Amino acid sequence: MMPRLRNAPPRYWLVVIAVVFFLGFPTVISSFQSSLWAQALILAIAVMGLNILVGYSGQLSLGHGAFMALGAYTSAILAHRYKMDYLLTIPIATLFTGLVGFLFGFPALRLSPLYLALATFALAVVTPSLIKRPEGLTGGVQGIILIQPDPPPFASDLFAAVTGTAMTSDQWIYYISLFCALLLFWVAWNLVRHRPGRAMRALRDGEVAAAAYGVNIAGFKTLAFGISAFYAGIAGSLFGLATGFVSPDTFPVSLSIQLLVGAVVGGLASIPGPLLGAIFAYFLPIEANQWVPSQSWIPDQVASTVKNAGPAVSYGVLLILIMIFAPNGIVGLIRAGYDWLYRRLRGATDRETGQLPPDPQTV
Amino acid sequence: MPNLLELKEVHAGYGPRSVLHGVSLSVPEGGIVSLLGANGAGKTTTLRAITAGVRWSGDIIFGGRSLRRLATEEIVRAGIAHVPEGRGICTELTVDENLKLGSHLRRDGAEVRKDYDRVFEYFPVLKERRKLSASTLSGGEQQMLALARALLMKPKLMLLDEPSLGLAPLVVRAIFQIVKSINQASRVAVLLVEQNARIALELSSSAYVLEVGRVAVSGASADLKDNESVRRSYLGY
Amino acid sequence: MQEFFQQVVSGIAIGGIFASLALALVLIYNAMGLVNFAQGEMAMFATFVAYALINRGMSYWIAFPITLVLAFGGGILIQRLVIKPVERAPVLTLVIITLGLATLVNGFAGFIFGYVPRSFPSPFSADSADLFGVFISYRDMGVIAVSGLVLLGVYLLLQRTTVGLTMRAAAHHPEASRLLGVQVSWMLALGWGLASAVGAVSGIMVAPILLLEPNMMQSIIIYAFAAAVLGGIESPLGAVIGGLIVGVTVNLAGAYLPGVGGDLQLAVGLAIIIAVLIARPNGLFGRAAIRRV
Repeated sequence: MMPRLRNAPPRYWLVVIAVVFFLGFPTVISSFQSSLWAQALILAIAVMGLNILVGYSGQLSLGHGAFMALGAYTSAILAHRYKMDYLLTIPIATLFTGLVGFLFGFPALRLSPLYLALATFALAVVTPSLIKRPEGLTGGVQGIILIQPDPPPFASDLFAAVTGTAMTSDQWIYYISLFCALLLFWVAWNLVRHRPGRAMRALRDGEVAAAAYGVNIAGFKTLAFGISAFYAGIAGSLFGLATGFVSPDTFPVSLSIQLLVGAVVGGLASIPGPLLGAIFAYFLPIEANQWVPSQSWIPDQVASTVKNAGPAVSYGVLLILIMIFAPNGIVGLIRAGYDWLYRRLRGATDRETGQLPPDPQTV
Repeated sequence: MPNLLELKEVHAGYGPRSVLHGVSLSVPEGGIVSLLGANGAGKTTTLRAITAGVRWSGDIIFGGRSLRRLATEEIVRAGIAHVPEGRGICTELTVDENLKLGSHLRRDGAEVRKDYDRVFEYFPVLKERRKLSASTLSGGEQQMLALARALLMKPKLMLLDEPSLGLAPLVVRAIFQIVKSINQASRVAVLLVEQNARIALELSSSAYVLEVGRVAVSGASADLKDNESVRRSYLGY
Repeated sequence: MQEFFQQVVSGIAIGGIFASLALALVLIYNAMGLVNFAQGEMAMFATFVAYALINRGMSYWIAFPITLVLAFGGGILIQRLVIKPVERAPVLTLVIITLGLATLVNGFAGFIFGYVPRSFPSPFSADSADLFGVFISYRDMGVIAVSGLVLLGVYLLLQRTTVGLTMRAAAHHPEASRLLGVQVSWMLALGWGLASAVGAVSGIMVAPILLLEPNMMQSIIIYAFAAAVLGGIESPLGAVIGGLIVGVTVNLAGAYLPGVGGDLQLAVGLAIIIAVLIARPNGLFGRAAIRRV
């Protein structure tokens, strides 16, 4: 225990730096860029939810896009049909999705992780056509267009005082997303440090053994699924707000794959992992789509194919390579690099007490 | 007699835990050798080292050729039949299919048919149950199936890991009798791991006693059997 | 009544297609306790290969076996390159890898062949034959015949040949098989090759019905999952029967259940998966799993 503590990176400072960075970021980038970063933060919330399920309880969901869709449509329908304030719909949608996830967790807890993966994957594939059907409620293929809220005076004034320009609704939505992300990451951090987190990890590392130690398997599996759906629900609800629009095509299977890429690339069973992974998974196709057509040596026809096929190819390659070579993702690589550097700087004197890193396999 | 199998200073273990600390032993062509010792002495690990089931260092020579860096499949194809702890029966398959797995590498069709006849002569019960799933067999029958299958591999050497485990004394007698007949009829050498030292020493011509990963005593089986102090301190009867 | 029987027969035809893909899933499940999420995409890619061959002027019945051989080789190649390095990893790692593989193959097909749907030839006439008052299209009959032959071929290979025997032994008892001289790792590769070829048949059979494009198999794989789960995921026979049941059910639901129609047929597949997993997780022919501590 002691050597690991001593080796630990200065976490608190990293957290403070990250918070300051994200608070100040919209003051230096455009309103449009803020909107993109808001979506990346929202994705990070959903990835965090998936991470709680996969990384900390060893169950695999390939259908978290479906829970995002549920959250988004709950909010959109309440705001559009029942004229509720969108911000008020967010907690309702979140709790509702969490509840559905919890109920979904009941049959799921009887299944092997493999079957759960299979069922949730099927759910993700079917979701768009399920949304299309009740047209009166969901607007069918057309979807629902949402009105984005204006920033309240206090926020707008504060922002104007710093930057000299008024706050746009995109920037306001960015701050709402940031607030939610910070809150939910803090909750996740507390969760995994305390009893539920330990129980879930015990579950992941061996169900039978966990039961022998008195962990209520059924309860915690269901709980993990519920919490994870809760995160996906709030992410979906915010996502509708950020894009100003929900439609069946907002939630294809590839969204669920994108969430999994975020979780795996960032590093399963870590708290900063989902943030890094989500930012990566969100901006990779966007940046690539801007970069490829701008290169004059790439023929137009190739460029347009890359635009369509690029994300799938790169996500696929990433999933495979990371699972084979770096199962702990970016965070694992950073930790390994830090440990290596630390040992280098400390020299040979510390080698006796230097412990081997824990087994890198986390799923 | 020239040695068919020779272990020279073999060290082996599982991960960081080392189990064998320099075991040397040899099995002559056509001979029966017992490997005795208490639980955890390293008997099973020795057998597993021979068929590359565990990492080892030192040297293992079979038929004049070192087994270093050979995969299990290659060692088996070179002529070693290993009946592992727990017998290694494929319970998903039928009795017949298990036997076919024993002979599946052989190309001498006529000989194979003769061997099948022999096997069914030794173990008539297997012939009756050919079509049944191997999971329906009793423990003794499964041991017979494992032996029959090993015989059908036409090996030069059989490694038998506790064939008596969990079987009634009468069944054990019968099985050891058949091991002896197989050894005499087809000149197959046998390296026998046993807890039941008394019956193993009756069968074998020479024996090694392992104690925490080292050979503590070795010699002709008859000598060990008659040596009061060896019997008391190592064999426990 | 007549229409009902026609729906049943075309349900059996499409069920045969599901059965082939489900059988491919079962083969890999048996070999390594893994559901291969890339099975459908691999089949789609093989179908594109067949399309390319036919487009170059090759006759259908020559392109068909050549595609199967290529799919077989491709399956072995994938096992060696992608799966073998992580053979001993936990099953969820493997699942994520096959999902990555699915995404990769899908994108790769889009990259090479584009996303414009193409019509794929069927070797069978579009006419129908009158069998005791029920009109059955030659296409349906052809699909049933081809699927039946493939399934029979796989059965004979696994049950009646030495290679099949060693494949089964390697799948269920890798340690014991190694001690009998079976080259377990290559048997797993062979399993991937065989699964890939069997899956390719489903792609080639379904392409004339659906139009060929990279996302063609996305719905078929769901039906195949349903078939495999219904049959009991480790049972080849169960996969075949499950495929037929799912095919007929989905077809009848689409035709007769009010509100299902064409676009919610896939939801029927999902409903079958969930219902089986809740009511009878081991399927019709599966055995109860024993948990090892």
